[in-house]
Amino acid sequence: MASTTADDAGSGRLAGATVTMRSGAKNIAYQPATLNPTPSKRYYLYLMLPAIIILAAISIYPFLWLIYMSLHKVDIGGAGDVWNNFKNWSRLARDSKFQDGWWLLIKYSAMCMLLEVGLGVLLAVILNNSRFEKMLVTIFLMPMMMAPVIAGLVWYYLYNGTFGWYHWLLQSAGILGETSILGDTSTAMIGIVIVDVWQWTPLIILIVLAGLKRVPRDQLEANMVDGAGPFRNFLQISLPNLYPFLLIAILLRFMDNFRFIDAVLVLTGGGPANSTKILPTYLFDVSFQFFKLGRGAAIALTLLVVTIILGLILVRLFDSPAGKAGQTSAEN
Amino acid sequence: MASSDVVQYRSPARRVLEVLTVLFLAVYLIWTMLPIFVMFVSSFKDLLEAFKLPRVGDWSGIGVFFDFNPTFQHYIDLFDDNNFSTYLMNSIIASLGSALISVVFGSMAAYSLSRIEFRGKKDLFFWIISTRMAPVVAVMVPLYAIFRGAGLVGTLPGLILAYTTFNLPFAIWILKGFFDNVPYAIEEAAMCDGCNRFQAFQSILPLVAPGIGAFLVLCVLFAWNDFLFASIIGSGGAKTLPVATKELVQPQNIQWGKIMAAGVVTTLPMMFLGLLIRRYLVTGLTMGAVRE
Repeated sequence: MASTTADDAGSGRLAGATVTMRSGAKNIAYQPATLNPTPSKRYYLYLMLPAIIILAAISIYPFLWLIYMSLHKVDIGGAGDVWNNFKNWSRLARDSKFQDGWWLLIKYSAMCMLLEVGLGVLLAVILNNSRFEKMLVTIFLMPMMMAPVIAGLVWYYLYNGTFGWYHWLLQSAGILGETSILGDTSTAMIGIVIVDVWQWTPLIILIVLAGLKRVPRDQLEANMVDGAGPFRNFLQISLPNLYPFLLIAILLRFMDNFRFIDAVLVLTGGGPANSTKILPTYLFDVSFQFFKLGRGAAIALTLLVVTIILGLILVRLFDSPAGKAGQTSAEN
Repeated sequence: MASSDVVQYRSPARRVLEVLTVLFLAVYLIWTMLPIFVMFVSSFKDLLEAFKLPRVGDWSGIGVFFDFNPTFQHYIDLFDDNNFSTYLMNSIIASLGSALISVVFGSMAAYSLSRIEFRGKKDLFFWIISTRMAPVVAVMVPLYAIFRGAGLVGTLPGLILAYTTFNLPFAIWILKGFFDNVPYAIEEAAMCDGCNRFQAFQSILPLVAPGIGAFLVLCVLFAWNDFLFASIIGSGGAKTLPVATKELVQPQNIQWGKIMAAGVVTTLPMMFLGLLIRRYLVTGLTMGAVRE
């Protein structure tokens, strides 16, 4: 692409003929002189504008509102917002549910991720060597297509202490007592983690499979010539090549755990005794059950900041080999 | 296919490993399919049959699960008594509407973003993608306040706009990668042949059309499966299928057969769509970070 973009037709030809040389590096900016030079930036700007305006209206404007709300006592009835001297914020420091919420969210995400990544990598490695890879992956994908609420409802039914099949299964196997898995403070968290693992392990499988397809074959063969078996081959060659993929998978899942609480809302709603009240659920309660929108805004801001930091790390990863080698693998 | 066609010896230990592998796959297959299977089967059970369960520890009683007279009554009831045709329409309009808006404006923006360089482009990109990654609950707090003031709560346009908050950045981000793969030379050639800029843009559309179509479907899928926005912003006038399904759960007299039927109605179209765009799924779900 032309680094020198002309703004009007006249200078386009001139720019095309320029050959720039920087000291040391050969940097040739060549552009054939055409009747239609590179369209001016303004043309592209006009194309871009509608999307940018819509996006600004539904992201920047609400963001500013969020900051404003976090500094006021927001009254939904229309009585006007009252400045309250950072009370929303100072309250967070004393709010044990808020701190527990963060702790539970991290615990929940970490548990989900450990199980999902472990299972996902194992299954991807197996599937990669399987004849039925295509068919099996397609079947495994099914849970991802389900709306998280519906998944939550189905699992709620399966977990139910009086008529749930999974509860019956666990009880018959002697693992669980009379109380259902969601009814006990010590097991409720495991219950919601299992649902997440059920629904989202396929995503990890997909990502790791894409990564495994891109492990350089020559490296694997060279290692085998050096006497490595399949196991050592996996540890020494495949795994290091998979790291960027795994990192992407982990970050995506982390952010999705922050993003979606649909299943948790249906399964436990944060109970029993707040044992599954992860921060987004708490935020939901504060904002839309008690309608304390000001305090909700302060909590939302903390959640946003952490997600943005995670997002920054993820965007760095987009420049990693995971996203780039796409074309070469298509030919193999 | 990296390691699959390397010749390997089949030692006894390897045989055992193979058996274990197959066993593991079978268990995982059952574990994946069982909830979906239970949902389908239970949707054909009547009120009492859905609650039937063998005694604890009675393994042979597992056949009770299949002991029922299939009935379509729940599906008929859903559409006759529970207004599900309205909710279905709401779901279709809201998800398709936001997907169309996102993809049309998104492809325009993505096209121009992939064609020009300017200072701050990276920052602009980060803004776009962070909009998409923001937690739904966090976004909803100010959005609810704004929409309430504008009278958009409980209306379909409001819901479409709310869905656009995550679909538009997604469309821009993912389609930009698509346009990046189309050489500028094609447009140049078209312009040499006398096309104007817009016609040149049209000339590359056939190349990106499959991708645009796939991501349109993915946008529909994201919007369709959403629950939080629909339950708060759409509450009242613009109830969608997931919300309506959730509302069937009542403290007393839960009709599980009906709920499962509603689940099937909500899930089935999306499973079909998901299979349709299987090839683009990895790219879409990882925001383009991983290409298959």
